[in-house]
Amino acid sequence: MALTQRSQRTQRNRAVWLGGALLLLLVVVLLGAAMLGAERLPILDLSEQQWSILYDIRVPRILLGACVGASLAVAGAGLQSLLRNPLAEPYLLGVSNGAALGTMVAFVFFQSLEITRPLLAFAGAGLATIAVYRMVKNRTGMNVERLVLSGVIVTTFLSSVIVMLTTLLDAAKLRSFTFWLLGDLSQATRNGVYLSLGAVVIGTIILMSQARALNLMMVGERDAFDFGVEVGRVRMMVFGASSLVVGAAVAASGSVGYVGLIVPHLVRLTVGSDNRLVVPFSAIAGAIFVVFADTIARTAIAPRELPVGAVTALIGAPMFIYLLRRN
Amino acid sequence: MIDVSRQNIAGKHGNFCNNALFFWSMNVDDGKARRFLLKDKGERIKEKVGRKKRFIFLLLALLAACGGVKNDSATSSSVSQVPMRVVTDDLGRTVTVPVKITRAVSLAPSLTENIFAVGAGDRLVGVTTFCNYPEAAKSIAKIGDTMNPNMESIVALKPDVVFVSTASQIEAFTKTLEANGIAVYVTNPKDLEGLFENLTNLGRLFGTESAADILVTQLRDRSNKCFIPVRAPQRVFVQISKEPLFTIGRGAFVTELVKTAGGISVTADVESAYPKISKETASALDPEVIILSESDDNKEPNEVFNNSPAVKKGRVFKINADLLSRPGPRLVDALDQIAKDLHPEKFK
Repeated sequence: MALTQRSQRTQRNRAVWLGGALLLLLVVVLLGAAMLGAERLPILDLSEQQWSILYDIRVPRILLGACVGASLAVAGAGLQSLLRNPLAEPYLLGVSNGAALGTMVAFVFFQSLEITRPLLAFAGAGLATIAVYRMVKNRTGMNVERLVLSGVIVTTFLSSVIVMLTTLLDAAKLRSFTFWLLGDLSQATRNGVYLSLGAVVIGTIILMSQARALNLMMVGERDAFDFGVEVGRVRMMVFGASSLVVGAAVAASGSVGYVGLIVPHLVRLTVGSDNRLVVPFSAIAGAIFVVFADTIARTAIAPRELPVGAVTALIGAPMFIYLLRRN
Repeated sequence: MIDVSRQNIAGKHGNFCNNALFFWSMNVDDGKARRFLLKDKGERIKEKVGRKKRFIFLLLALLAACGGVKNDSATSSSVSQVPMRVVTDDLGRTVTVPVKITRAVSLAPSLTENIFAVGAGDRLVGVTTFCNYPEAAKSIAKIGDTMNPNMESIVALKPDVVFVSTASQIEAFTKTLEANGIAVYVTNPKDLEGLFENLTNLGRLFGTESAADILVTQLRDRSNKCFIPVRAPQRVFVQISKEPLFTIGRGAFVTELVKTAGGISVTADVESAYPKISKETASALDPEVIILSESDDNKEPNEVFNNSPAVKKGRVFKINADLLSRPGPRLVDALDQIAKDLHPEKFK
């Protein structure tokens, strides 16, 4: 008894240490990102214009990147536990594409209404999540092949609808849309930051409130049910929260890939699979990852810019293969 | 010229029957002729061949013999071929086109405008869905858009030559077309002078040299009037799209136009023609003038320019996106507008 208590305590200490280190890293990355950019800004003694560049352009973009990263990572963490599958990720499951399609419908048909974008993105993400879930679930339960296959099918289906819709766009719009589709944080505005921040805070709180239940469900839905977990409710909460955060993230920045896959994976490797830690740590690590990737996107070929989604994929895909081979 | 027409009779329309149809078709409009040639050809030939088989064969043999002799001395190609000539396109490729181009397809709005401008618009049998100028271009058969032309539609139109611009990234399709025996002529004007050259070349290709020469002289005159030498050129930002922020860089026509009109594009040194530029840099560039390539979602400057001298002094000008983005004769209209916007005092 004493032994387990001690081991619990050392585990908790370890978690606190890791959490502290992650937060510190986040602060360092945020500050570093604020100092780097296409324009070289002196740390002290900024002119009015330089101040405006920092405050109106760079900082909102960094904050939005942090929100988007946190959103995608917590959504990935939640979906992975719920579907009991390390491959579950908003981008691979088609949830991001669902949100992208929603945003695009808003973009093409309701251009004047700003608020329709996040709303339709949320709806699209929700529908895609439900579609994948319905396809995955059968009497015998879910397996990896089914999940990946369903994700691929939903993703390609939604992509083809998106491509069809792009034919309605003229050449100039098409160019901006392609950029957005790859994940692009350059359109960050204060309102976008507030919206994403609100979504990610609410989403993370919901997911953390379900963390205990998710831990039980990782054993198996049937067993979790026997332990008294309201499986249906948990599922609804996790799907809802994931759709909310992914919808907000995609509406603000397009579909940034691999964040929801890599980040929770790395977090689990470090802190174990307790969702009470995985969810908040994923949020912080996701923010770090995207802000870091976007700093590269902003500076690599300055004054031109890369879409951040291209950078996350560039970092994420090899990392994923490495992890896959190591395990 | 007489030689050419005789070879035509003996060549392209290899039997008498088709020749008759060909001559007749010259008197009707292109659409009618095409329908006639495509749909009714079979039936009509059957009717006549049955009745006058011998006569036709006799004539055919005679004509073929005549044409053969001529061909041997002229182009040394076989009897069944149209008189051809070899030209060089803007990429330095050698292209074999008929001496008289009667059916052309344009795969870029600028090329459509140029072909109309040199007086050969009536030879266009296919254009892209983007080709909306001049008015007459709208009623020509559409073969898809610049990026995704429909190969089958193009081949079905039986063009002598297909005109592409490198801007349309169409090189990939060239092989398919050439495999179908359709010549592909690539144009790649890089500046105003290149545009004038392009117009002259098109005039030569279509045999409308005089119209092209007149046009080029006029355009050259007008663009010379827009040449405004200044000591301190105004610093201009050209906004192609507001969100995300696209502008013009090195290699865009407009960069040259702005320079001619007594300004300087603040993004003139940025690599690539239409770069997406960082908002930080755009804001730091602090332009004195902003030119908007006017389209539905590009009607005002990006917020990062709110404190720029251009916005503060109200020096924001709009120019129709079609004028700015197409290397056609209307590029001179764009130049004219830029010059008047930058230096209104010179045009009183």
